Amino acid sequence: MAKKITGPQMIIANRLDDGRAVFFTRNGGWSPETDEAAYADDDGIEALLAEATKSADKNIVLSVEAIGAVLNGDKAYPAHIKHAMQAKGPSVRADLGYQVSLDWEAN
Amino acid sequence: MYAYDKFDHKLVEARVAEFRDQVERRVKGELTEEEFRPLRLMNGLYLQLHAYMLRVAVPYGTLSANQVRKLAHIARKYDKGYGHFTTRQNIQYNWPKLSETPDILTELAEVEMHAIQTSGNCIRNVTTDQFAGAAADEVADPRPYAELLRQWSTFHPEFSFLPRKFKIAITGAPTDRAAVKWHDIGLILKKNDKGEVGFEVLVGGGMGRTPVIGKTIRDFLPEADLLSYMEAILRVYNEQGRRDNKYKARIKILVEALGAEEYARQTEAEWERIKDIPIDVPAEEIARIRAFFAPPPLPVLPDEVDGVTSLAKNNFIFASWVKNNTHPHKVPGHVAITISLKPHGGIPGDATAEQMELVASLADEYSQSEIRVSHEQNLILPHVAKKDLPALWTDLDEAGLGTANVGLLTDIIACPGLDYCALANARSIPIAQNITNRFDDMKRIQNIGPLKIKISGCINACGHHHAGHIGILGVDKKGEESYQLLLGGSGAEDASKATILGPGFDEFGIVDALETVVAVYLGEREEGETFLETYRRTGPQIFKEAVYGAA
Repeated sequence: MAKKITGPQMIIANRLDDGRAVFFTRNGGWSPETDEAAYADDDGIEALLAEATKSADKNIVLSVEAIGAVLNGDKAYPAHIKHAMQAKGPSVRADLGYQVSLDWEAN
Repeated sequence: MYAYDKFDHKLVEARVAEFRDQVERRVKGELTEEEFRPLRLMNGLYLQLHAYMLRVAVPYGTLSANQVRKLAHIARKYDKGYGHFTTRQNIQYNWPKLSETPDILTELAEVEMHAIQTSGNCIRNVTTDQFAGAAADEVADPRPYAELLRQWSTFHPEFSFLPRKFKIAITGAPTDRAAVKWHDIGLILKKNDKGEVGFEVLVGGGMGRTPVIGKTIRDFLPEADLLSYMEAILRVYNEQGRRDNKYKARIKILVEALGAEEYARQTEAEWERIKDIPIDVPAEEIARIRAFFAPPPLPVLPDEVDGVTSLAKNNFIFASWVKNNTHPHKVPGHVAITISLKPHGGIPGDATAEQMELVASLADEYSQSEIRVSHEQNLILPHVAKKDLPALWTDLDEAGLGTANVGLLTDIIACPGLDYCALANARSIPIAQNITNRFDDMKRIQNIGPLKIKISGCINACGHHHAGHIGILGVDKKGEESYQLLLGGSGAEDASKATILGPGFDEFGIVDALETVVAVYLGEREEGETFLETYRRTGPQIFKEAVYGAA
């Protein structure tokens, strides 16, 4: 059973057609970039998750999940390496993954 | 090679059409993910961290050149130009789009391939010796029996919803290159005193979170009784295997709970009940299947070839390749060759579309258009004349496929790990890359000798770490990747379970620890002793002290 997450959290999912990891944004959409990602604390995460899950019901995304986040100013980033990997693409194919434009080492 | 008959074609085409309809309904929103998930998994389609992953079955690791060309085409057209060969002798594509997967399956069906039973709680792709039909030490070719098992198990109604997935491996040689003792059922082909062919039958092997080596429940099963006996084993499991806890659902848990003797007794009792109803196929059917695997008409050729000897004298890498990457063949003057998919610094098991196309062409030119996949994530050309080795190696080497490291330290098994896999806790591939970069000297690894390193990124053990001479297991330690070191495992006929040496390391420390272990071995080994032999003689303590310091 997954451990209960505490502290800042954000919402991750996979896009239906290509499976790419995406984050629920502050304006109610989904983005592969974390810059616009919505986040909430323990009190607000359930409401945020419920809002995000409505998108899944419309078959835009699947596997909607709240994950731990770290905050830098007003931006949230995935706390765990697994989700950081989802944001950036596989570390071993920086030439081919969607992370091409990102600097793996800098993050 | 086996060729589909009209039933095989119809079966696969019907399945593709059914899946196309299911995908269309999912995309339109007529199926929820909850409804669709089991359907896509029945067709080998997983959702991983970054994308869908399609696992394509390579029955008993055997491919034709045309099939490999098709795999290359799919990699280029529907994926990102590469595929990943796995420890189950299958190939996985890392980036297919959901809406395009029916087209991929349609293209696969054109070359008699599919993704059926590459997922789910059913009998999975039967695996075998990559040198089947070629190996000099073979008692009998295991592929006809593997094909018989494929036909029997495909859509078997009674065994489509087992307590858990089920893996059968079969070897036709006493040297076990298929890790049969680590499978739910292991079959070892042998001959009895009368010269008749049959099987030693093992049950209850498996890796994962509870590693268990299979136990023999029958010393000799006549070949004619194979299917009814398999049916009896599966029935005992299907009836009593645990369905309340997926971590205790594999047959190994049931065999441990009942004891191997009791499992054998129940199997024999069930078999007595069913063996006279027509489950087994007639001898003519086995003969019909066997005919597809008739040995190719290879001429007997000289074993010593001037061109090979002279190039080997002048080229250390070629000499190493001949030493490490060739395997004795039944027909004099021939060898099976292993194409290493473990370039130093590369990703174990990955091959680009261009590399696959080259391998297909070389198979046409030098190996009767046949290719194999090994569970060690390499490709094999099974029937090569020794005189062709210099030209073949030159072509392979130019394409980055000439690495001469088969069976050596850098021929590492690694699961996809956290770079791709949704189940993983830690990355595996970068550890393999760090190790191969650290040991990037052929003379050094040649001096170290036979050494199998196997890396898994989680306890599910797809990287076979329990069976590694040196195993590495990636775990999550408070949100960080951590790597445990295990020593003393074997996946061969002398199967043994590796044991954890001590506390884990970070991604750099694990490579240092491994280097220390190798140094201890080099210091301790006696004349001609392999790493595993030294470890079994000395035990873990001296390795432990060297890695962690004296207690």
